[in-house]
Amino acid sequence: MNSQTHAPKPYWNSYWAGFGLGLVLLASFVIMGRGLGASGAFTTAVATAVDTVAPTHAANNAFYQEYLGDGTTNPLMDWLVFEVLGVFVGGFLSGVLANRLSLSIEKGPRIASGRRLLFAFIGGGLMGIGAKIALGCTSGQALTGGALLNVGSWAFMWCVFGGAYAVAYFFRKQWI
Amino acid sequence: MNAPFYKFGLFGDQVSFIIAFVIGIGFGFFLERAGFGSARKLAAQFYLRDLSVLKVMFTAIITAMTGLYVLSRFGMVDLSLVYLVPTFLIPQIVGGLLLGIGFVIGGYCPGTSCVSAATGRIDGMVYVAGMIAGLLGFGEVYPHIVNFTHMTSMGQITLPTLFNLPYGLLVFAVVLMAIGAFAAGEWAEKKFGGKEPDAEGALIGSSRRLTPVRALALGLAVVGLFAAFGGNPYRGSHTTIDTKDLAMRVSRGVDAIQPEQLANWIIQGRNDYRLVDLRAPSDFASYHIPSAQNVPIVSLTPDFAAHNEKILLCSNDSTDAAKAWFLLEAQGFKNVYILNGGVQEWKDSVLFPKKPQGTVDMAFEKKAQVARYFGGTPMTANAGSSATIPEPLPAIAKPALPALPATSSSTARPHKKKEGC
Repeated sequence: MNSQTHAPKPYWNSYWAGFGLGLVLLASFVIMGRGLGASGAFTTAVATAVDTVAPTHAANNAFYQEYLGDGTTNPLMDWLVFEVLGVFVGGFLSGVLANRLSLSIEKGPRIASGRRLLFAFIGGGLMGIGAKIALGCTSGQALTGGALLNVGSWAFMWCVFGGAYAVAYFFRKQWI
Repeated sequence: MNAPFYKFGLFGDQVSFIIAFVIGIGFGFFLERAGFGSARKLAAQFYLRDLSVLKVMFTAIITAMTGLYVLSRFGMVDLSLVYLVPTFLIPQIVGGLLLGIGFVIGGYCPGTSCVSAATGRIDGMVYVAGMIAGLLGFGEVYPHIVNFTHMTSMGQITLPTLFNLPYGLLVFAVVLMAIGAFAAGEWAEKKFGGKEPDAEGALIGSSRRLTPVRALALGLAVVGLFAAFGGNPYRGSHTTIDTKDLAMRVSRGVDAIQPEQLANWIIQGRNDYRLVDLRAPSDFASYHIPSAQNVPIVSLTPDFAAHNEKILLCSNDSTDAAKAWFLLEAQGFKNVYILNGGVQEWKDSVLFPKKPQGTVDMAFEKKAQVARYFGGTPMTANAGSSATIPEPLPAIAKPALPALPATSSSTARPHKKKEGC
């Protein structure tokens, strides 16, 4: 084995990766009558955790209730939960095949690891809140709703880009 | 071909989970192939150095959009059965801005963070932990912001409906916009990222050769052009009835909405549902519940509303509404409810609620407030027989009254889980 076989392979061309993603989304529309999602699965997990720890508290909260269902089925037996499990597996498989698995931190050269992880946590938190206010994240709203010409999804999509470009300057040291 | 397959009952929930897993694998695979497991690559989008996010996202959108258009145009997919997230404009704008800011700070979006974590990126794992904390935080404050999350509701609405333009024309416009954005993106990558577009991977460039990538863009543009003149996609009317499921739901009464709950919806300003009053026009004219529309039962044709729109039926009591409920369910409407007890019950329990004699009851004070909101009168138990309703009935116009305290919807659990993200 020489070192070349262990070097990460280059990423795919964006247009072909996007085309593949589009076909997956189309398959989801045709087979299931629904699009892709991500944040919803984590919300189900959070609601289930709250329900386990504090059932009365969860029962009095309409938001958790919406993700827990009527109690006749296990809330974790949910389409999005299985889909997101697949996302982990698919990402892992692709990473293995392209030699891209590595326990590392993605960051620019001008930021310390600890600070980067703090930012990752804060950014994740903001995204969690934003996704629930907007009824979906980049997967469920921008990608899925975009392809369905959904009014709210297009408004959402432009605001994601707008919000990101508006603050990008202040966080440049993290990335470039 | 009857698609979406799941909505036509070709397989059940158990099989759908396997499909979910397989579709998820495809989703994760292509995200990772695109380089979206790397926060640096994703964030480069916002410094105009690498516009992969734009290219991947819009290629995926126009691929799925044109594919769905063609399949529904030729009747293979019933577009009305594909779930559409309802539009709440202001919350979606605010949520979008928050996501954008979170994207730059965190470096991922929820989907890509899964791929990042799965390939060993520690920042991706920490991001997922942060997202879970954010979701929990949102859940805890939700009761206080429920009114905000439901404001500016526009229901399930698409751009063609909003602008009153043919569906296919919008498809074409989005394809053109995307291809324009690709060209602009490649230009920006060259200018800000110092990237020379490689002959094979770019749309613009000195070579005049029809590379595979250019062929892909051309193909999508051709389908888009076809859509511009191709007519409207199919929104079908035929369906199969699962009689056992219908009978079960009738017996469990899961599709009934209590009048008090409807009152809360109206007060909250929710309009993600359509309230259909089935009574005779004369009855409707003398009194109807605010926001109701009068639709005689014979007009409940398959195209009277979108098939996944939430429809709430009311009649004098529950009888006619139950008949109409069955009719709509049989026509493939997916989200039909009955106002329990009909307009009569609405009058008895919302407009003129009766106070149990001799009790001081906080719950009744709230009921009384609701009654006054709708122009009714709260009654004490000894104020006349229960059969008489004071005349005249309140005017239809909603009086301006102070907002009620946020209401908990623990009165009724939704019988189906949320379908969207």
